[in-house]
Parts: sequence; C-alpha cells; structure tokens
Amino acid sequence: MNEDFSPAPGSSIGDDLGLGLAMPGSRLIDAEGHRKVHPISPLVHAAAVFPALVGVAFATGIQRVGSLAEGLGGIPGLGFLPPILTAIVVFAVIALLLSMVVAAFQYLQWRAFSFWFDDDGDFRVQSGVLLRQQRRAQLSRIQAVDVTQPFAARLFSMAVVVIEVAGQNDSRVRLKYLSLADAREIRREVLARSAGLSSTTAEAPQDVVTRVPASRLALSLCLRVTTAGLFLVTIVIIVVSYLTGGWGAIGVALVTGGVPLLIVLAEFVRYYGFTVAQSPDGLRLRYGLLRTESRTVPPGRVQAIEYVEPLLWRRKAWARVLVTIAGVGTESSGSGSQRGDTVLIPVADIQQAHDIVARVLPTLNTESLTWVPAPTRARRRSPIQWRNLAVGWDEDSFAIRRGRITRRLAVVPHARTQSVRWTQGPWERMFDLASMHVDTTPGPVSVSGLHLDAVVSRNIAKHQADAARRGRQIDNSIHWAAS
Amino acid sequence: MPCMDTESAFTSTNEGDNWVAVSPKLVTARRLVLAIALVPITAFVVGVLLWSGAAALFAGLVAGVALVGFLWAWWLIGRRVRSYAYCERGDDLLVSSGILFRRMVIVPYGRMQLVDVKAGPIDRALGLTTVQLHTAAATTDAAIPGLEPSIAADLRDRLARRGESRSAGL
Repeated sequence: MNEDFSPAPGSSIGDDLGLGLAMPGSRLIDAEGHRKVHPISPLVHAAAVFPALVGVAFATGIQRVGSLAEGLGGIPGLGFLPPILTAIVVFAVIALLLSMVVAAFQYLQWRAFSFWFDDDGDFRVQSGVLLRQQRRAQLSRIQAVDVTQPFAARLFSMAVVVIEVAGQNDSRVRLKYLSLADAREIRREVLARSAGLSSTTAEAPQDVVTRVPASRLALSLCLRVTTAGLFLVTIVIIVVSYLTGGWGAIGVALVTGGVPLLIVLAEFVRYYGFTVAQSPDGLRLRYGLLRTESRTVPPGRVQAIEYVEPLLWRRKAWARVLVTIAGVGTESSGSGSQRGDTVLIPVADIQQAHDIVARVLPTLNTESLTWVPAPTRARRRSPIQWRNLAVGWDEDSFAIRRGRITRRLAVVPHARTQSVRWTQGPWERMFDLASMHVDTTPGPVSVSGLHLDAVVSRNIAKHQADAARRGRQIDNSIHWAAS
Repeated sequence: MPCMDTESAFTSTNEGDNWVAVSPKLVTARRLVLAIALVPITAFVVGVLLWSGAAALFAGLVAGVALVGFLWAWWLIGRRVRSYAYCERGDDLLVSSGILFRRMVIVPYGRMQLVDVKAGPIDRALGLTTVQLHTAAATTDAAIPGLEPSIAADLRDRLARRGESRSAGL
C-alpha cells in the first residue's frame, strides 16, 4: 500500500504485505484434469480462524486463569513465567491445536475441491468430502468476477476469487485460496470466456479514475454530525474534568469518545486507499487496509444511486455515493463485509462524484430534473426536513430529495423501476399528505418521496408506472457488454 | 409524450380505472381467525388469574379489556376488508388496501417474477384464495386476499400471460 500507487498495465488487483511469504503459483491439476486451489489453503483457513479461537479459549478460560496458572506453575520449563503469561501461552497453545484440527479438516476439503471449464464452456466447481456437490456457473449469467484478499490470505499473499452469478440466493462461487497471480489469471480467463472471447485474450487495461486520499477519508469520517458531536462532548467532558479536578465523568468520556472512534477506525480501515478505476467490464473499486477487496460495478446492473451529504461536508462540497446493484448485498449469509459492497465512493468532491456516477449511469443528469416539492403544510409532519422534500423526474430517471441535516438525493432510472407504491399514514392524512416509493432490488438506496400532496403524489405514482414501462421498452443498457 | 409534464401531475387520473373489490367472505375468515386466536388466550389468562387467587375485579378488568379489543378488531376487520381492491390496467396491476395506513401498489406486468396463489385451512373451508405478486424488489408488497378460487385462477393466468409478453431483464 504505497502512496505512489501506480497500476501495472493489465491488472493491479491485490498485493502482499511484503512479509516475504509470497507463494509461487501452483497450477495444480488433479487426475481428472481439474484445477485445484493452492495447497497451502488449509493453512490459510487455519490462520483465518486462529484469532477467533484464541478469543474463544480466552473467554472460556478467563475465570479459571488463577487456578490454571497455579496448576501450571509446577510444569518444568514454564515456572519462570509470571502466571498471567503462562495462561496466555496455554490459551495460544490450545488455539493452535484447534487450528490444526481446522487445517486437517480443510485439508480433506481441499482434496475434494476442484474446478474446471466443462465442455459447454461453463465454469464448474466440485466440493464436499461426505456430501459431494457440483456447481455450475453458466458463463452467460456471470455478473462479475472479483479478487479479494482477507487479512489471513494477505499474510500468505493468497487471494479469493469470487464469481457472482445471477440467481436467487447464495449464487456466488468462491475459490479459496489461490496465489495472486493465479487469481488474476482465473479472473481474466473467466471474464474473457464469458465475453465470448478466446480464453487467452489478455485482460483489458484499466485506467485509474480517482483515489481517495487517506487524510480526506479520515477527515470526512470525523466530520459526520453524530461523530463530530460526540467528539465535541468528549472534549468538553475532559476539559471540565481537568479544570474542576473531578474525574468522575471520565468513564462517560470513554464511551462518548471511544465508540465513535472505533466506528471511524473501522470505516477508515475498510475504505483505506479507495481506488476507482475504469475497465471495459465496468467500474472497478478497490479498497481496504487489512483486507483488500476489489469489486466490479457493471453499468448495466446499477439499479439506483444515492448522493449523501452530511451537514459538515457541505462547506467542502463533499458527497458519498451509495449504489444498489442487482444481486449484490442481498445475501442473508453475507457478514458485515457485504454491506460495504454498496458504496460507490466513500467521499469525493461533488463534481468528482457526478463524474463517477456518469460512468455507471450515463443517462443521469441531475440538472434536467423537474422537481415537485412537498407543500408548505408538510412542515407540520416533518418540521426539519420538509424544505428539502421533493420528487423529480426527467425522460430517463426518477429522483427524490430528502433530509435536512444529512441531505440525500436518490435516483432510479425509469427502466429499473420494479414497482411503485403510494402510502398514507394517519398523521399524513391529517394534513392531506402522502408518500410515494419506487421499489428497486434490495440495496442501500431507498427511493421514497415523503409527505407530498396526497392527490399529486398519487398521480405521480401512476405516471411513474407509465414512465417505467416506456423506460423498459427503450432500455438497452442490459446489453452493455454486447455492444 | 416522452415523460410526464408537471401540469398533469395535478389533475386527477382516476377515471377509467375499474376497481374490483374482494369477496365479503374474507370478513368472516378474518373474524374467525380473530376469535380462534383471542378467545382461548383470554379464557386461559382469566382462568389462571382466578385460580391463582387474584382479585376477581382484576380478572374482570382483563376480560373487559380483551372484550373491547375484540369488538374494535371485529369492527376494523369489516372496514379493512372493504378497503381491499385491485384494478387491472393495460400494463400494470393496482392493489389498494388499508384504513389507518392506506397504500396503493402499482406492479407493472413486465416486472412480475412470479405469481403465488395460496390458501390457508380457514380460507379453503370458506372458498377463498390469496394471489400474491413478487417482483425483484423485496419491498413490493402486492397481495390480494379473499378471491374466489376460480377468479384467482383466472387472474393468475391473465397475469402470467401478460407478464410473459412484457417481461424485461433486471
């Protein structure tokens, strides 16, 4: 992660931590001619669970540290250590033994795991020790191929190839683990084959569009309203405590300062070095300090986008852009790492943000939207944000504005509208107001025009259904790769 | 007209929409469910209170509250069921419902991913069916309860046919 980031021609996915553990590519092939993942994969799996196992061993054994340490005091060779260190050593050893069990189990998995391109050219994965399972990823339905590096994998310079296939749930194929070179090679091959090109076509080059500087990322994360507010409270508490000499409130300061600090740190680590690059298969995002992730945003699959402008970013004209992509971030098994898949850029100048959005939604023009604001009486329903509430549209897109402290502008192309809803709660009805919502595939963007005039919003909802139909008829962005 | 002009947003477009109400038998079904759920629970709670030696006044109060809730829900069910209506337009289906929280869902035929027809035991006994539409959006909530089975089957077939001829990718 050097500051002088210079993409190599071809690919710039992933890197190692420079621990000298870089593994040569394996290109292992089993008896049936199927390819295998790297033979050190079981060890990487073990390394990945090791910290958790230490935690478990520690949590279950913490009450017994005293007696444990005493009991171990007599063991020759460990007597020279203080009891607490002895306990830690014991926990580490237990965790190590457990990870060896994991490694052994993963070794069996590794033996059963293979992947290949079948005679139809589709990608197949075979796995399972007791329950053998074969999965087939139809190349024509492949949405994206990404290379990610969880932290444990980075230690070994290994990578995971994630193949996203269109389908209901858990339709992604993961290859764990491959050396970086192999991972890039497989990504290139799958992409070339799914584009109908020869399997030896070189990967298209990618141009870096922008990179978020670490300082700006850190500042932007601290400048969010709640975070900044809590930091301010913390400073006040500390100053008051210092002046009065009463340190009773310092525990409160630990919470008000510590929680936002942890949140800021977590997001900083997550989005560190956020790089946006343009490649022929879509916009490529790459980010992460500890675990590197790399995502492809194909333009034809963007369902909706949202600009988010917190209060304190407005003077700097910064914005964050969220994006809803079909089939991404909907996995129920998706851990916390899945949520961030939906950030197009964590912070950027508004102009830069427009530029990036234009690459995935070329038809969007926020200037040409016709806006219908919420009526003045909406202030009685939403006294703060009513002034910014509005819905707007043009020939290609439908948009909503909401929020006052954190301003949001969400846009959905007519052609991506799934359904339209009109709702009216009792409080809204008192003031003859109603809301309308444009439904898209699950994602972070919700397109809701809040507290509009009841009749107007109902008519707009119906018109939006018509606009969506016309949008679908003229839409051809789904075939973006074929052109 | 490439897109809607601001003017037409303010003029009503309700004429021509042919809304269809659901079967009044749905009122019976819902009230039956209400009675089956509420009566035994109330009886059990009141019984336990009396048996455990609580003041009869308190047990009576509980029973009274349950009765008021029961009557209110009984009345509300009648209104709620009358609020259900659907309307098949040229290119989309409109489903409208709700008294306290009113809603109207517009589902374009081309966006329907599947149409569910389902009926629980009570619904079956009374000859009722629910038709539920699904799109790729999880927030689309378009269910039409209380349809006669023959009407529901016809509706499903019509919807499926229209969906097929108008379907589009994501």
